[in-house]
Amino acid sequence: MIEFDQVFFSYGQRSILNGLSFAIDESERVAILGGSGDGKTTILKLIIGLLRPDSGKILIDGEDIAEKTEVELRDIRIRFSMVFQDGALFDSLNVKENVAFPLREYTEMTEEEIDHKVRELLRRVGLEQAIGQMPEELSGGMHRRVAIMRAMAAFEPKMFLYDEATTGLDPVSADVICKLILDLSRQGSGFIIVTHKMFDAFRLANRFMFLKGGRIAFDGDREALFRSTLPEIGIFLGELNAQREG
Amino acid sequence: MGGKFLKISIESCRGNLVDWISQMKKRIKELISDLQDFYLLSFHGMMGVVRRPFYFKDLIEQMDYAGSGSLLIIVLISLFLGMALSLQLSAELSLLGLKMYTGKVVGISIIREIGPVLTAVVFAGRVGSGIASELGSMVLGHQVDTLRVFGVDPVKKLVTPRIWSAFLMLPVLTIIGDCVSLFGAYYIAVFVSHQSGTFYWSSIREVLVYENVLAGSIKPFIFGVLIACISCHMGLSTKGGAVGLRKTTTKAVVISFIAIIVADFVLTRILLYALGFSL
Repeated sequence: MIEFDQVFFSYGQRSILNGLSFAIDESERVAILGGSGDGKTTILKLIIGLLRPDSGKILIDGEDIAEKTEVELRDIRIRFSMVFQDGALFDSLNVKENVAFPLREYTEMTEEEIDHKVRELLRRVGLEQAIGQMPEELSGGMHRRVAIMRAMAAFEPKMFLYDEATTGLDPVSADVICKLILDLSRQGSGFIIVTHKMFDAFRLANRFMFLKGGRIAFDGDREALFRSTLPEIGIFLGELNAQREG
Repeated sequence: MGGKFLKISIESCRGNLVDWISQMKKRIKELISDLQDFYLLSFHGMMGVVRRPFYFKDLIEQMDYAGSGSLLIIVLISLFLGMALSLQLSAELSLLGLKMYTGKVVGISIIREIGPVLTAVVFAGRVGSGIASELGSMVLGHQVDTLRVFGVDPVKKLVTPRIWSAFLMLPVLTIIGDCVSLFGAYYIAVFVSHQSGTFYWSSIREVLVYENVLAGSIKPFIFGVLIACISCHMGLSTKGGAVGLRKTTTKAVVISFIAIIVADFVLTRILLYALGFSL
């Protein structure tokens, strides 16, 4: 269970979160929506302790992580797998080494076992042929597929955190990523996805949170979202309708 | 009327002064916090070598990048520096009838002062800028955050190998650079200035005493650590996209240059005192 209790956060003078409170169960499929700079990615970073709140409590399974040290946070972080917006592959390592990175760090697997595991993971996302390629040779969609496989290589995360997983991708690549996310969630791991793309959010999530002014302006399911009178949600839904009509 | 204007201008000056003082306060606070971060990063970076896990592969990679990658440029620059120095000194000393001292003066200058400083400056320009830009782009591309997500300490994984590779490789490069400079100076002294080669090498042997060698060999270790710590700190504090990356890379090189020159002065003063040279 992830709980935010009156969390305040700012970058220098710029206030981002103003008393944010919510609770998410680790098996849920949640989409966090909102405008640029409203703190969506900040929430993901706060959940895994990459950022620390100015005040307020962030509880992960009842443990307040706000005061934990980097070493103590490691136990929290391995419960999650975060996939950054651009995949964040290590650009000095090829695809195989990227996916093998957590295996080398956390397991005692032999080279042969690592090779077998990496191929198996890459085969799952149709990228076995790209095993020797460097990140700069991959497309945006391939980047993110490799990043997702790397995120789940060594651990079985309770929850995935996706930062703009489909942003900037063509519809076909975005479709592949959405199917992969759904496929992983069917195996029992929930996820939080931060996105601007309503179409993808609707395909993936069953709970929607809308950020406005550093607080949750809306929190509910699909039906409640359609009934919402919040003007910004109306604009987001307008985009969804236009996409559907298109 | 005049009094009113005077009052307005005094108030405006007071307002400007208050703004200026509050800005200065903010900058001083930032500087102190930056220095604190720098010392902590440097300390943890250096101490990372005694705590598990050990990243030997990364250390070897960094030693290869810093050492063999910089060798050619160091050799080239040192060769021409030695030749230029020998030319200048031969010309000046022959006016005084002291041409035979070229080897001795070249030897002392290169081994004690110019060799370590020049090699460190070239090292800062090549390796320091490389470290800052590489770490900076890793920060901007969320690769450092990814390491933390995987529970890997970025200081141990990224900073420790870079500090130790600079600590180990800069002295090696300095020794090679010094040798090449002395050979360049020899070529000019013997084949251009028509001095005795045997006398040149015997002058160099006279210079290669414990005090001079110690003075010249301690400096590169300190310079190497300084360059790596400054560059790592700058790289890891990168903000603001491509412009931010450009700024941190430039800052890393400029601050490294200043640090090398200041440290050289301080070390020279300490070493002269410690080795019993009188001024």
